[in-house]
Amino acid sequence: MIILRRNTVKIVTILSVILGVLWLSGFGWAIQDYYSGNSMGGIESKAAKPMQKKDKQELTIVALGDSLTRGTGDETGKGYVGLVTDDIKKRFKNRVTLHNLGINGQTSTELQKQVKQNEVQRQLASADTILITIGGNDLFQGGQTLMDFDPNSIGKIQAEFINNLTSILTDIRKANRNATIFYLGLYNPFIELENGSDTSKVVREWNDQSERVSAAFPKTVFVPTFDIFQLSVNDYLYTDNFHPNKQGYQLIAERVAPLIKWEEKQQ
Amino acid sequence: MSTVTLSVSNLRKMIKGKEIIKGLNFELQEGEVFGFLGPNGAGKTTTIRMLVGLIKPTSGSIEICGYDVKNDFTKAMQYMGCIVENPELYPFLSGYDNLLHFARMLPEVDEHRIAEVVSLVGMQARIHDRVKTYSLGMRQRLGIAQALLNRPKVLILDEPTNGLDPAGIREMRQFIRALAEQEGLSVLVSSHLLSEIQLLCDRVAIISKGEIIQVDMVANLLNKQEKIIWRIEPIQKGKEILRRYTEVVETDDGYLVTPYEEKQAAIWNRELITQGTQVLEMNRRLPALEDLFLELTGGGEGIG
Amino acid sequence: MANLIQNEMMKLLARKRIQVVGIIVAVLVLLFTYAQYKQVEEQREKLGTTDWRASLQQQIIDIQNRLGSSRMSDDWREQLQVSLKQQQYYLDHNINPTEPGAPSFVRMFVENSSDLFIPLLVMIIASDLVSSEHSLGSIKLLLTRPVKRWRILLSKYITLLLAISAIIAMVGVLAYLLSGIVFGYKGLNTPVITGFTVEGGNLDTSQVRLLAQWKFLLMDFGLVWFVAVVVGTLAFMLSVLIRSTAAGMGVTLAALISGAILSNMVSSWESAKYLFMVNLKLTNYLNGVAPPIEGMTLLSSMTVLFVWWAAALVVSFVVFTKQDVY
Repeated sequence: MIILRRNTVKIVTILSVILGVLWLSGFGWAIQDYYSGNSMGGIESKAAKPMQKKDKQELTIVALGDSLTRGTGDETGKGYVGLVTDDIKKRFKNRVTLHNLGINGQTSTELQKQVKQNEVQRQLASADTILITIGGNDLFQGGQTLMDFDPNSIGKIQAEFINNLTSILTDIRKANRNATIFYLGLYNPFIELENGSDTSKVVREWNDQSERVSAAFPKTVFVPTFDIFQLSVNDYLYTDNFHPNKQGYQLIAERVAPLIKWEEKQQ
Repeated sequence: MSTVTLSVSNLRKMIKGKEIIKGLNFELQEGEVFGFLGPNGAGKTTTIRMLVGLIKPTSGSIEICGYDVKNDFTKAMQYMGCIVENPELYPFLSGYDNLLHFARMLPEVDEHRIAEVVSLVGMQARIHDRVKTYSLGMRQRLGIAQALLNRPKVLILDEPTNGLDPAGIREMRQFIRALAEQEGLSVLVSSHLLSEIQLLCDRVAIISKGEIIQVDMVANLLNKQEKIIWRIEPIQKGKEILRRYTEVVETDDGYLVTPYEEKQAAIWNRELITQGTQVLEMNRRLPALEDLFLELTGGGEGIG
Repeated sequence: MANLIQNEMMKLLARKRIQVVGIIVAVLVLLFTYAQYKQVEEQREKLGTTDWRASLQQQIIDIQNRLGSSRMSDDWREQLQVSLKQQQYYLDHNINPTEPGAPSFVRMFVENSSDLFIPLLVMIIASDLVSSEHSLGSIKLLLTRPVKRWRILLSKYITLLLAISAIIAMVGVLAYLLSGIVFGYKGLNTPVITGFTVEGGNLDTSQVRLLAQWKFLLMDFGLVWFVAVVVGTLAFMLSVLIRSTAAGMGVTLAALISGAILSNMVSSWESAKYLFMVNLKLTNYLNGVAPPIEGMTLLSSMTVLFVWWAAALVVSFVVFTKQDVY
């Protein structure tokens, strides 16, 4: 109707006044709260309830580590973790949940902290399979360590790494007793440089030590990658001559994937 | 005819260093219709806007019923109603809501009074329609209803018949006269048409270039300026005869022009006939406004 | 004065301005609801889980990976670090920063629309409050009533404040009702974290405390209301100064949009913090988002806005009461 109900105008006006007062008080409160809000000095950390799986047939993979876990160098972005997951999805009919927690440039010291985080522990607890790549950034430090090639400092780095690795695996095992851990060894991206044999020696030694550490933990599998890149390293490296390329990741995945068994889940 | 309702004294307005209005003085009496006559650009609108408080005068004073517009704005405005140019009401509201809107801005105007003015302008039938559906004449009437809401003593109308059809103009004219005569309102009407002023007003102020050049009764002014145009055969003889009574000017296209004197015209005519000339045409003619101005501002005889 | 305000409200409602604003809000809310819904859906698909912790963890990992990249401006890096720490804090304390449900949606919607969308809505109303009277010619009738000019302008201004209050409420109610259809109406009492402060690119969590969502919402709305009032007052001033509604809107629009752009790039131009446009995101202070310029605080932003507000009001009233109307 054309005539404006006078009551409508009145009601809208009164309502608007009330709302105006409400917002004004909200505004006052915001300032008051912001500047004199009584803080309890932070709030308590609370542990979350364990993750619930929708169905018991669901498989969970947690991938930890560095850029290799992330998949750096693979233009499809999958990396070996993605490829392994794809393979598992194909082989088993189950639903697969993947938590990829890999961070570019992560060192063992950082990973050691990461696995202590509540949520990471919670995810680890729900895992059936745990994939780890770590150590590359400790040892190579972007190529610096092996360029300088100082046995003393390498020894120190290695000792620290072994400590960290032990701690990491301990924490993982604490969070999850049953999951199988696949820990991938290092390859030598510098194998074709002039002091290739020297660097290879260091990497082998590093892998030896790491494997020994992992052997001390139950259901923990050390997966070597050294041999994959040993002969024609340049075919399998990305243009940065450090990370694997698509083919490189494919080879790593092909090695890891068949090792993963879920018979117990198949019942 | 005694009370002064609107008085303007020494009103001036400077805009950007230029004096637009140069010291106006005039007064309105109760119950009279006062014309404000001048060509476009003479300063009529500026003056009217100063009267209603839209423009602030540079100097001088305006009093409405004894209240100064500048110092006592609200009191002065209570006694005044106005339409400046077209009555621009809110097209998206109904006529009634428009009146309600302006009534709310006035003291002691209730819905009863709204109904009163609506019937005064004869708008009862369409008052609840939206203004955008109104014709110009209806808008004009609604505008007047709005101006009358507060029972003003002074009504100021800027070009009230602008854009109206002839019937509308006649209606408006009657309405304004009725207001003045029956309600005792002083009405100030501005116009650039002499004919309109002549039919509507009691007194007129003629304004030109920001100055009032004459204030007079309309009748006087017109008397002074009205002409008779003659076509006489033979023209020379006619001219001689008329010259005995009054001044005569011969135009290029064979007419004679004399001033109009109501009682004399018949005598002149009889004389012409008895003297044996033939009066083919005898026309009383109102002067054009331009003529009036030319004459009043001393721009020559201004006949023709 | 009550009569005058009723007049203005009548005109406002008759012109269907508020109704138009309501429709715009409704459409936008539906759009955002759908976008949000799609996003949740996609995340669920990607992670294969609906667990918010897992997706938050993934966001943290993503940020950490982005921080590893060397091609990044220092400001951006700082901002990322702050939000990283904040997310980690949420995760550590087991509090979902984006609790699903209409209340969270309302919060997200209001916070994101406080610097552009809501000011735009307010502008629709404010910018022709005075100038439309000029363009209609009705100003001549309005100002020849026995009412002082400042009272007329004040009634218009109060009407603007009322309209702003109504618009803010409309945004809240529509966002709540419409998004609730998809996300559910629960969550008004879930705790949210407030009290993060950012100083020198570092997140300070010492003042952090928990607050019921509805309380936080009320504070958000209060701040957004204040911002809307300031922008509305500026548009109102332009409406007094500029007779053409379109020109006034153009100026306001330019200022608002330049503000949105400037906020992203003024960090090295320090005196820009005195511009009102970069101070519109007050809600960011409650959420502990780093301000666009180092050294800006809630108080400084409010002071700047207040000064602009007061100046605009003074200019409006002085000009309106003094100006000649032709």
